[in-house]
Amino acid sequence: MRKAPLSGIRMISMGTGGVIPDCGKTFGEFGADVIKIESRMNLDMMRSFGVNINANYGFNEVNRSKRSFGVNLKTEKGKALVMELVKVSDIFAENYRVGVVESLGLDYESLCRIKPDIIYISNQGFGRGGPYSGYKAYGPLMAAASGLLRLWAQPDDPYPVGSNTPVPDHFAAKHAVLAVLAALDYRRRTGKGQNIDMALVEVGACAIGDCYLDYTINGRISTARGNRSAYTSPHGCYRCKGDDQWCVITVNTDEEWGRFCEAVGHREWMQDLRFADLVSRLRNVDALDGLIEGWTRERESVEVMNLLQAADVPAGMVQRSAEAQRDPQLVHLNAFTEIDHPAVGKRIYPNVPFKVSGMTFPGSRRAPLFGEHTEEVCRELLGLSAAEIKTLKDEGVLEG
Amino acid sequence: MDLTDFRGAYCTKLLADLGAEVIKIEPPEGDPTRRTPPFAHDEPHVEKSLPFLYRNANKFGITLNLGSSDGKALFNKLLEKADVLVETYPPGYMASLGLGYEALKEINPSLIMASITEFGQSGPHRDWKGSAMVDFALSGVMIESGFPEKPPCNLPGMPAYDGTSVMAANSIVLSLYDRGVTGEGHYIDVSVRDNARVAIYPWAVTIQSYNAAPGGPPPAPESRMGPAVFPVFPCKDGFVRIIAITPGQWNGFLNALGKPETLCKPEWGDYLHRIFHVSELYRVAVEYTMKYTMKELFEAGDHFGVPIAPVYDVAGFVNSPQTKARGFFVEMSHPVIGKFAYPGLPYKWSETPAAIERAAPCLGEHNEAIYCGELGFSRDELGALKRAGVI
Repeated sequence: MRKAPLSGIRMISMGTGGVIPDCGKTFGEFGADVIKIESRMNLDMMRSFGVNINANYGFNEVNRSKRSFGVNLKTEKGKALVMELVKVSDIFAENYRVGVVESLGLDYESLCRIKPDIIYISNQGFGRGGPYSGYKAYGPLMAAASGLLRLWAQPDDPYPVGSNTPVPDHFAAKHAVLAVLAALDYRRRTGKGQNIDMALVEVGACAIGDCYLDYTINGRISTARGNRSAYTSPHGCYRCKGDDQWCVITVNTDEEWGRFCEAVGHREWMQDLRFADLVSRLRNVDALDGLIEGWTRERESVEVMNLLQAADVPAGMVQRSAEAQRDPQLVHLNAFTEIDHPAVGKRIYPNVPFKVSGMTFPGSRRAPLFGEHTEEVCRELLGLSAAEIKTLKDEGVLEG
Repeated sequence: MDLTDFRGAYCTKLLADLGAEVIKIEPPEGDPTRRTPPFAHDEPHVEKSLPFLYRNANKFGITLNLGSSDGKALFNKLLEKADVLVETYPPGYMASLGLGYEALKEINPSLIMASITEFGQSGPHRDWKGSAMVDFALSGVMIESGFPEKPPCNLPGMPAYDGTSVMAANSIVLSLYDRGVTGEGHYIDVSVRDNARVAIYPWAVTIQSYNAAPGGPPPAPESRMGPAVFPVFPCKDGFVRIIAITPGQWNGFLNALGKPETLCKPEWGDYLHRIFHVSELYRVAVEYTMKYTMKELFEAGDHFGVPIAPVYDVAGFVNSPQTKARGFFVEMSHPVIGKFAYPGLPYKWSETPAAIERAAPCLGEHNEAIYCGELGFSRDELGALKRAGVI
């Protein structure tokens, strides 16, 4: 059988929260040996939510397919062990507050001295350099500071609330994966490693690049549009039958408008002068949205979606996770996998979402318990004997 | 080689940003994205679409009519020299032109070809239609966006397409790395349907499965909890967003507001109490947040250990001292629009400095450079190809 694409590559991941842990997970799913450096005194923040440090859903999602090495980084011996691991690794990834890796002697310059071709990626909220570099910054705050949150609202909202999801953390994690893969390929070709300094706020900014151009070219400050489009109608999120059920419908062309009217059984809307052409539909958008919602409210969101899609009209239910799990297309795409975990039992996690011919991924492995692989890593990679490991544990250097 | 529309343009931009020579191949009338508003100077023009300009920076642009047999021959010549082909046509369309992966592999055995489609190359919804907001609705994030008493709220931009594009770029560079080791090419099937979920927010299904303990009560309904989880408060000159989850963060928040008595009551110290009484908390706190500016609260948050961020508008981010210190915006010159600042890359590289180096190409801007420079056609032959409608 073919090896996984990143087999033989090793990443040391000193991540917390979402971005760098998710980057590490992705490398693990591609076949790299990813070792998560963990310390009881400075736990990954996701472990600290809830009563059991091994039972958090978010932690157990973004820390799959890696090993946990528990070590007290406040001890000189602990730091020395991490340096030994770096010598036999390819990548070092971290997203602690600016100053943390420097204080531990695990910054790029220090690692370069012992492993000159190391690939090093940092992700901080505001990036390195600049007046706010040291500020604590989580994804939802970077949605705010990038200008993204201000636009994630309905025009009549009292304030822009965005969402309770940590956007743009996962979007950033995937940019980090891209950066490290590209650096790895560069090293394959040239033998040279490098340092990558990523700023979460700038990843958020990359999601609304058009709006910045509207400002830098046109001098216009974009405002929230909610679910309507300035350029086409119907374009909305319509209430359906049931409690808090919704379906998005977007009609882009007159042909689609005709098919839409046929599909909902209201051919007369096509003849209605208020809706006869694009400009009329935009001018009479309130009346049109009211008529459409009159139709959608009588039907379940999945029924609205299926009926319109059968007529080649773009429509999508505002889907919840239970519905996603039985969605025929996601089932066909093998979007989810069930993994057992000693602390939480069998739970559902997302699979690698793209298919690559002739490439085998090793299959997702459950997130490690804290320090689960401390001894294994000591034996395998550091060449320590059982007696040495016991001494280091007794001294409080190794944790697990 | 880039045969993408808006669905995949951010994918090839990401690769171009990192130094790949990306050749954007457009039909002679141009990528339809060129007609997507808004426009520079609000003037509809093929060189002035902002969505196009943003996602096609750093690329070279040529025109080619893939429907003609001469066009296909040119395409195949270009393909001989290519490492990667990315396309966003509907499933089966490339094969119907005789340009499916199996055929192209005959010409370039180590080709990496990525197809980005709305719903995937196969399956019951293969031929379904998407759009930026339809795909966002299906991603599972929209149900959690906006206020609970209002309809779910769209995320601006094209998050489902841009998120999918990052995933596609990952699959491509992974394949390039693998090809460097094994010498083998790959075909990659990337659906917006599955990839957007993973790229924007993949936790909803996992959370639901954690809540649904075997034999236990049913999970809480997914709804719009933004006001409670990541609260936003108005202040003198805008809004701030606050993360006060731990006791330390909550105390920091109290200190940042000057320890107002009404908020110092012990019940507010309990996180769950704050979640369940979010409207009341808002009413009480707003009186104090309104006394300060965004900058004052931002800096007080840092001082007192509670993460607070300004809710900038677009101008606020562009003009922020942090954005300027990092040099995120880069001035570019465009032959039709003139000089303007482009948003840059979210990462800085020590060995291979990556940056915006050229604005998006004008329609057919690099026809001569590519067809004459790389394929060896004469300028007369180029003229003939143009007259025949091949380019």
